[in-house]
Amino acid sequence: MASSSSGLTFKLHPLVILNISDHYTRVKSQLHPPPSAHHCAPAAADPFAPPPPPAADPPRVYGCVIGVQRGRTVEIFNSFELLYDPATHSLDRAFLDKKQELYKKVFPNFYVLGWYSTGSDAEESDMHIHKALMDINESPVYVLLNPSINHAQKDLPVTIYESELHVIDGIPQLIFVRASYTIETVEAERISVDHVAHLKPSDGGTAATQLAAHLTGIHSAIKMLNSRVRVLHHYLLAMQKGEIPCENSLLRQVSSLLRRLPAIESGKFQDDFLMEYNDTLLITYLAMLTNCSSTMNELIDKFNTAYDRHSRRGGRTPFV
Amino acid sequence: MGSIENLVTQIQGLSGSVDDIAHLHNILKIADESLHAEPSALSSVLDQVDPAKHSLGYLYFLEAFTFGPVSKEQALTLIPILARFINCCDAQQIRFAPDKFVSVCKRFKDHVLLIESPLRGVSPMRAAVRKLQTTSEHLTTLHPDFLLLCILSKSYNIGLSVLEDDIFDVDQPRDLFLYCYYGGMICIGQKRFRKALELLHNVVTAPMNTINAIAVEAYKKYILVSLIHYGQFSTSLPKYASSAAQRNLKNFCQPYIELATTYSSGKIAEFKVYVDTNREKFDNDKNLGLVKQVVSSMYKHNIQRLTQTYLTLSLQDIANTVQLGSPKEAEMHVLQMIQDGEIFATINQKDGMVRFLEDPEQYKTCQMIERIDSSIQRIMTLSRKLNAMDELMSYDPLYLSKVGRERQRFDFDDFDTVPQKFPI
Repeated sequence: MASSSSGLTFKLHPLVILNISDHYTRVKSQLHPPPSAHHCAPAAADPFAPPPPPAADPPRVYGCVIGVQRGRTVEIFNSFELLYDPATHSLDRAFLDKKQELYKKVFPNFYVLGWYSTGSDAEESDMHIHKALMDINESPVYVLLNPSINHAQKDLPVTIYESELHVIDGIPQLIFVRASYTIETVEAERISVDHVAHLKPSDGGTAATQLAAHLTGIHSAIKMLNSRVRVLHHYLLAMQKGEIPCENSLLRQVSSLLRRLPAIESGKFQDDFLMEYNDTLLITYLAMLTNCSSTMNELIDKFNTAYDRHSRRGGRTPFV
Repeated sequence: MGSIENLVTQIQGLSGSVDDIAHLHNILKIADESLHAEPSALSSVLDQVDPAKHSLGYLYFLEAFTFGPVSKEQALTLIPILARFINCCDAQQIRFAPDKFVSVCKRFKDHVLLIESPLRGVSPMRAAVRKLQTTSEHLTTLHPDFLLLCILSKSYNIGLSVLEDDIFDVDQPRDLFLYCYYGGMICIGQKRFRKALELLHNVVTAPMNTINAIAVEAYKKYILVSLIHYGQFSTSLPKYASSAAQRNLKNFCQPYIELATTYSSGKIAEFKVYVDTNREKFDNDKNLGLVKQVVSSMYKHNIQRLTQTYLTLSLQDIANTVQLGSPKEAEMHVLQMIQDGEIFATINQKDGMVRFLEDPEQYKTCQMIERIDSSIQRIMTLSRKLNAMDELMSYDPLYLSKVGRERQRFDFDDFDTVPQKFPI
């Protein structure tokens, strides 16, 4: 897929990504209930057993994205789900119109900008849907979310495609071309999306597991920050050695980043910080001591019950 | 004679891999009887076998060779051979026959004591201890012998280095008693009273069926060290001490317990009188030196008590309260204590006033962070070990049988809303 040459800049709001992901997850979990115990028995052995659930063929979900287009900037704010009719390979038009009307009442500024789907790559059949939407919007966008989790991949698995008229083998055809996009957030949006993304199970376990989950989140965030900083560091070192040509714009960005931290640097801050750090460490220490004492106490009780009158020799010595 | 030659060739042949050595071990076990039958023939053979490479064979020969009583001259010739063997033997091979190794080392210790130069034995014994241990947390039978040599040769520092290790595995309970007792004595010699208290406490609270002499002696020293270090002593033993100890120890240490009660009254003159009247008893137990230290510690503790009441005090008043002779003596004492770090104070020479200060530690430095961090790490490993032991104890059949008999009708958890344990 060539990259877009239309010159449009795309801004994607995180709410859209969440919506698509949520839609996909719900459909997938409702379609495939968790495998039951007898599904591992071979089908031949028990002809009356229900057939095993279908092998992982992830369902595709479809929906519409809406937003605002100002000049050359396309800003995608929201999205909603649509019904897909596999017979006609098209989206349910009446449903789309009804939904559009309803959204218009609440958000008069938002227009239908395009549609979304899930999958690993854009397919030929998608072009039908794309063309069908062309009468609402002359050049709709196609947002594709790749639901397969790839731990090695650092970026979001979301791609935005535009359609362009290219001449291939003498025939002008519409093909999908990739467009670059940026994530745009309002502060309130960021907070709420963050909150939703970190939903814990409702019974949350004890305070200990909640704290552990919270700390794990912070730990992974710091780890990611650390790895990104290391990448930058490596890059700068290479630039210094001359292996990579000097790029001033990047250097400017790095230096502006560096000037943003550290936020506070003074003697008094250092003192207070270390004192509070020490306090936290001491409390952890105290907690561990208490825990150990409690275990020790139980151990001694058990020992006394078992061996009191007849102390057995053989290395079972309590240690102080 | 021919069988011994046979053995020599076999040893030289089979000292390669671990399986070979196991095989060799079996052969040696069978041949052990014949070795013991003719010890004198072995001296020539010892030269043919290399102690470093063929440690196991050499060990068997050596053990049979040194069997039986020896005279002083023989001891003198034997000691270098034994020392050389211990220093260069291979630890892995030795561990196949630990009891032989232990008996050889014990004989070495006896010889060294026979010729009355324990210092020669300290370094080889330390090497022996390290080689016999499977991990650094393992207490072997050689540990107390090593510490005994350290005490007799007054080389306390070397003993201290071994005492720093925490112990989790014990071979024989008697080893633990002796080890902790000697260790306590070494720490007292080095004036590390806190560690001495810890070790002596171990002896006193170790599980025992009946009272034993080591525990009694340890208890006496324990009382004295506790008075020196803490300034007080409580006669109740913690609940993990065996019932035999709790009931009987006090009966054997009566004079010391009275000493403790006199000490707590705080009157130095009375205390000195008591010490003088019972001087003989303390001397018999060889604790007189320690008792004298208790007397001098009384001044220290009295001064320390003053820091809790007064902010500033004149030297004259200190001398009067603590029943010292003159302000000069008081100043000396206070100065010594400041240097040892036992109190925080400043002395104003001009008007003879002492000003007591707070602990200046602010807990703000990075070193403090590192200290606390390392303590936390230590306690985490300890916590894991404790949990493992606790689980092990829960499966113990003796415990389960006793607990099964006295089970309550209602489950304890029905009434309990607070969690029993906090998982880490």
